[in-house]
Amino acid sequence: MAATITSKVQEDVWIPTCCGQCYCMCGIRVHRQNGVVTEIEGNPEAPTGRGKICVKGLAGTHLLYDPYRVNYPLKRTNPQKGLGVDPKFVRITWEEALDTIVKKLEACKEKDSRGAYFQATTTAASEIRYAVTAFNKAFGTPNYWVSGGGLHCGNGAHFMNGIMHVSWSIIPDFAHCNLPLNFGCSKGHGAGHTAVQNAIQAADARARGARTITFDPMQSPQASKAHEWVPIRVGTDGALALGFVNVFLNELGVWDDEYLKYKTNAPYLIRPSDGRYMRDKATNKPQVWDLVDKCPRVHNDPLVTRVQYEDQAHDVALLGTYEVDGVKCRPAFELLKEHVKKYSPEYVEEVTWIPAATIRRLGKEIAECAEIGATVTIQTEQGPKKIPKRPIAAHFFRGSQGHVNSGWTCLSIDMINHILGAADTYGAAMGLGAEVTDGYKPTGKPYQIPYPDEDGLLVAKAWVYDHVPYPLRVPKQPTRLDLHDMFPTSIYNAFTITSPHWFEILDQFKINYRPDVMINFGSNSVMTMGNAEIVTENFLKKFNFIFSFQLYVSEFEEAVADIVLPDACYLERYTPAVSFPSTFSHPQGEDDWGWTIRQPAIEPMYERRDFNVVLMEICKRLGILPKYFKALNDMTVMRYGGPFSPENKLCEDGSVEHTWPDVVDRLLKDRFGPEHGLEYVRKKGVFTWPKRKEDVYWKWFNPSRVPVYFEYFIDAGEQISKLCEQYDPQKKYIDLNWSVFKALADWYPCPTHSKEKPEYDMNAFYWRPVTQTNSMTQQNPYLDEITSEDPNIYGIQMHQKTAEEKGIKDGDYVWLENTDGKRVKGWVSLSEGMEPHHVAIAAIGGHWGEYMPIAKGKGTFFNDLVMMDAAHTDPLTLGQDICVRVKIYKA
Amino acid sequence: MTRYGMVIDLKRCYGCYSCVMACKQANRTPPGVFWSRVLRGEMGVYPNSVRQALPVLCNQCAEPDCMKVCPTGATYQTDEGIVRVDKNKCIGCKYCMMACPYGARYSVPEYKSYFPEGLPVSDYEKHCMQVWEEKRGCGVATKCDFCIDRRAEGREPACNQACPAKARVFGDLDDPESEVSYLIKTKRGFVLRPEVGTEPKVYYLPPR
Amino acid sequence: MGSVKLEGQVQVEWRWLIAAYLFLAGVGGGAYLVGVIADLSGGPDWMAVSKIGVFLGLPCVLIGTLFLLADLGRPTNAWRVWMKPGTSWISRGTIIIVLFMIFAAIQTALWIWPFAGPLADNESARHLIGVLGAVFAFPTVVYTGLLLGYSQPIALWNTALLPVLFFVSAVSTGIMAIMLIGRSQGVEGTQLALLTVIDAVILVFEMFVLIVFLYNAYRTVESRFSAKRILAGAVAPAFWLGVIACGLAIPFFLELFGGEGIVASLAALLGLFGGLCLRYSVLAGGTLSPIMAGGYEFARVARPKDPMPAMGKLPPS
Ligand code: SF4
Ligand code: SF4
Ligand code: SF4
Repeated sequence: MAATITSKVQEDVWIPTCCGQCYCMCGIRVHRQNGVVTEIEGNPEAPTGRGKICVKGLAGTHLLYDPYRVNYPLKRTNPQKGLGVDPKFVRITWEEALDTIVKKLEACKEKDSRGAYFQATTTAASEIRYAVTAFNKAFGTPNYWVSGGGLHCGNGAHFMNGIMHVSWSIIPDFAHCNLPLNFGCSKGHGAGHTAVQNAIQAADARARGARTITFDPMQSPQASKAHEWVPIRVGTDGALALGFVNVFLNELGVWDDEYLKYKTNAPYLIRPSDGRYMRDKATNKPQVWDLVDKCPRVHNDPLVTRVQYEDQAHDVALLGTYEVDGVKCRPAFELLKEHVKKYSPEYVEEVTWIPAATIRRLGKEIAECAEIGATVTIQTEQGPKKIPKRPIAAHFFRGSQGHVNSGWTCLSIDMINHILGAADTYGAAMGLGAEVTDGYKPTGKPYQIPYPDEDGLLVAKAWVYDHVPYPLRVPKQPTRLDLHDMFPTSIYNAFTITSPHWFEILDQFKINYRPDVMINFGSNSVMTMGNAEIVTENFLKKFNFIFSFQLYVSEFEEAVADIVLPDACYLERYTPAVSFPSTFSHPQGEDDWGWTIRQPAIEPMYERRDFNVVLMEICKRLGILPKYFKALNDMTVMRYGGPFSPENKLCEDGSVEHTWPDVVDRLLKDRFGPEHGLEYVRKKGVFTWPKRKEDVYWKWFNPSRVPVYFEYFIDAGEQISKLCEQYDPQKKYIDLNWSVFKALADWYPCPTHSKEKPEYDMNAFYWRPVTQTNSMTQQNPYLDEITSEDPNIYGIQMHQKTAEEKGIKDGDYVWLENTDGKRVKGWVSLSEGMEPHHVAIAAIGGHWGEYMPIAKGKGTFFNDLVMMDAAHTDPLTLGQDICVRVKIYKA
Repeated sequence: MTRYGMVIDLKRCYGCYSCVMACKQANRTPPGVFWSRVLRGEMGVYPNSVRQALPVLCNQCAEPDCMKVCPTGATYQTDEGIVRVDKNKCIGCKYCMMACPYGARYSVPEYKSYFPEGLPVSDYEKHCMQVWEEKRGCGVATKCDFCIDRRAEGREPACNQACPAKARVFGDLDDPESEVSYLIKTKRGFVLRPEVGTEPKVYYLPPR
Repeated sequence: MGSVKLEGQVQVEWRWLIAAYLFLAGVGGGAYLVGVIADLSGGPDWMAVSKIGVFLGLPCVLIGTLFLLADLGRPTNAWRVWMKPGTSWISRGTIIIVLFMIFAAIQTALWIWPFAGPLADNESARHLIGVLGAVFAFPTVVYTGLLLGYSQPIALWNTALLPVLFFVSAVSTGIMAIMLIGRSQGVEGTQLALLTVIDAVILVFEMFVLIVFLYNAYRTVESRFSAKRILAGAVAPAFWLGVIACGLAIPFFLELFGGEGIVASLAALLGLFGGLCLRYSVLAGGTLSPIMAGGYEFARVARPKDPMPAMGKLPPS
């Protein structure tokens, strides 16, 4: 309760904890004076920002004290659900709320526990991957997703970065990179997974004189800081990247020989008949051609491997034809080289609208800037070591990957790095938050050294999700409500669950249970997934009962929630770690390792209760608490590198009922030794230990290779399509182009690029401004006020001339209408900083909910234009296409 | 003598508004008041157009127009060259707000809540209102004072501390060894509206 | 912005209250000046005109000052306003105004009905005080322009034409005020007719000054947005209806062709209202010109207003 507020004690304290305004979870310090939180600033102890945080983090006090926060459990009294329906919420007691919820869950469990569906926000990454996943295991449901998994999340980016860098995301090694190439993202300029630290690094790089090139249809914050802004047609980044690769390989003849030979599968010999590896009969391992001994050798034969840069090995073939076991085969590299020929600058110009001459010029510049052959010596634990220096880095995120070509686009862009040897080495493209650590010395945890599989390819030691990027899961008969089990290359998908034929699909695919109870944690999926009506009608209304842990009554709760539980916000709770240590939100670059925790800066006010605590209470009432603890124990291995030691393990037999802080304490003690539990870490809010240089530049210290030839995709595609056909032979429900599962990268057009209906002549896309995260922050009046300082955030950005031609003036209200007739309204902000055929919309605006009045009516609800059907889904990753062809007219 | 000034490196700045928010929070300023502010500009024609952010704050002018026009002497300069308002002398005529060439002054008739009228005011806002009443006041002119009170506690100016791009440097212009002096000298530092002759002490380094 | 024009930051602090102050200072000072001139140069026929003019000075300026006071954020501190006459036009202005009011008060007390006093007969003393009063009435009128003109960043105001414009308007509105009252207070037809003609001429001149003023404003990059704001933007209704129609055109035509009785009073009333609108338009048209840096123009950009947060609904508690 609000006891501390009125207390008279003279109090003036700073509480170190971690921010929760976005998934970056920067270290912060919170100033509490006489029980009132009065200030938030960065925590200088936390390496993720060293005292710097972003505007959202600084604005957190208004989230804590917002009078529109839900403070008591609420019950819907209007049985009707849907958009625009008044839920007629009434206050109820916690007891009644929990009672109802537990009864519903019990009933669900009785029928089929898989009918429970957990939906969570991306913002609270730590909670999701700890409490949410453990609950699901304990309860017995495989069904969960991060809302916006289709739309908002980087289905393509995360998966592909996982394959290539064992990381959630990639970022230039700003400290040494001389030419960051930005493909439609804001990393280093306000968004991304360690946004603030990257912003610091990017600024340092600018000051140092690094040259930056940005490919983006708009003058994004990133583009405006770049030396060269290259406007590009939306959704064509993949073609451009392959164009560059072609320029390197076929026009300039430039590639990093050593890197490709010893750090990728480029020299793997490929069978012409089916494109598979030419495997060694005895070991079944892929082979390379030893140019010295003129014979095939398995990929990890010490004679043809170089783990460290200074290791010696025989030269291997990248080009040519070699006979192995009577079969004439060629190295994967040569196939790639031939394959990309079709991406001539002229063809790429047609697709991307970037002049061929520019592509050639930049290709040359990039190749030169890579300094292939250059090395630096770094101080490692084993003394000084030479490693390659490759000061270029192509990186990307939301903008370039949110298309039907998502997966291949990511791989194509990253291919620039791998062809030039610029991956996870000095100055190059790095996994975000160096992901290789042999742990904190005294305990060896978290231990996260990636390793090669039998085929020599990179495998992540710890990963965020159950579906590791490599090796791929074997597609299985679906059990999940989104058929997820069938799609090993995807994290989530939206096209199944939002289909008007969802239940028919389930029938068709022999899934004999139905959605029943939805547990929502902090997500406003009515707004974050796509068209609100489709999401509500086809998906959310299919649940019999929905309860929601929430800070506000958002559009989601208004439309469909039966019970709303008043959640504590990030300033009122404990969490054991920053999101997913290793792959995400961890310190980037050479600064220390840091493990940030969250602790309450203030006790939960009113009747707010911490989600983690309530979830445990629900488990207790359901009698599954021991299972929940077991699940936490198990999960720790996967996400936090290494199992609990016995003394820290959570009790699995029900004899001890851990409190939530106890859980936090044990995890910390386990990772950092008995003296470094919660009491210790909370003093600084972060536990830090030195990072080794070889943790950062790990490429030439790790025996693994990465693919440039995705041989195993062929198998995966065949397996998936077979499975699909088995259930749905007419392709009635799942009609995706499985032929994209192949070994070599290609670019595929989006629906946006179609020439039909020429009156829809503008391409709309979405971008993320620094002042907002997802949809919730729009209710923060500080952020709202600051957001309106930049006309390009709440406005629809458009090129002046285009507007003039259409008779639209600056500030006019317009409709944007997509080819399906869905339309959204907003006012235009004209500028020269837009490609003339595009309109850009920032953030998730256009709220209409009555309970978030600050957010209401600000900005434009772009997602309403987003269709979630198969035609807008990337077959490779099931990522969502978020560019939309529209026509624009005055409102 | 100490003569405080600031350097803002436009090449580093990426227009993230952290300085704006940090200032609002540190000084508990009410809605509409931006002692620290970020303006937006755009130059050139597509595809060679460029956008740029311009963080602005009071320039602590050596020859401040705001002080000249102030009829009461409420606006004064400290020994360290910081231009302040004595709220007990200010009559709230707002003439200084008209005269400041940089739009750096703000005055609110009352401290309105950030939330719609009629709601209970939150503990945080109550606190803000108290601090405001104590240090600044409604009806009088208010402005940036290079975070005098924070610096007395040994903290940096809030905007400086917050800036993720480390675009802002605060220091003594009279000390030739200071970072600010060094940057201004070596990196083509310039001031805004030099023609008005107020001799600003906030310098900028060129964006490119 | 490139070819997109950045709009300046609109000055919102000084609006109707200050407009009323500037206007009343103008009417009062203007009427007083006309009164004194009439006294000095006209014969006994002009006595009524001159008395009304002189009489109007004090109350108008006094009420105007009350408007100024009302606009102050801390009126209780108002006495400090004289502290810096060396540099501040508000200090100077208030001193001038007070001195003016003292002379006007003396005149009123010793001359004008109902105080049939000593000055009625002592012409030279009256003239002397009148001239002294006028010495302060003139700057009272003109200083309002200088006050605004001292604002360097608001280019619209920062011009020598503004005091001229305000002066002309002050004289014209002063005459109108005299005519309005004079009609019921026994001013003869001949004098009225002459005043009407004089005022019509002044109106033409005022029109001319106004055109030059706005033309200059439009031509100057820094104030172009201000000019646009006045001519076609948010201030346009006050400008076209208030200043041009009510303040200049209608009175001018009524004065030329209407001439008599209620119509003439109406002309004067409209003209006075126009004078108020003129001050308002000039104030509300004031915008901080964009700042140049590194080849860019910077400003806060005025955009369509996003909705003000309504109360919405609070979650039940
Ligand atoms: S980047 Fe995200 S986590 Fe960091 S301060 Fe900003 S909102 Fe908070
Ligand atoms: S910037 Fe403005 S407020 Fe600050 S000292 Fe200069 S004139 Fe005064
Ligand atoms: S905080 Fe720094 S980078 Fe951000 S807008 Fe302010 S000055 Fe620029």
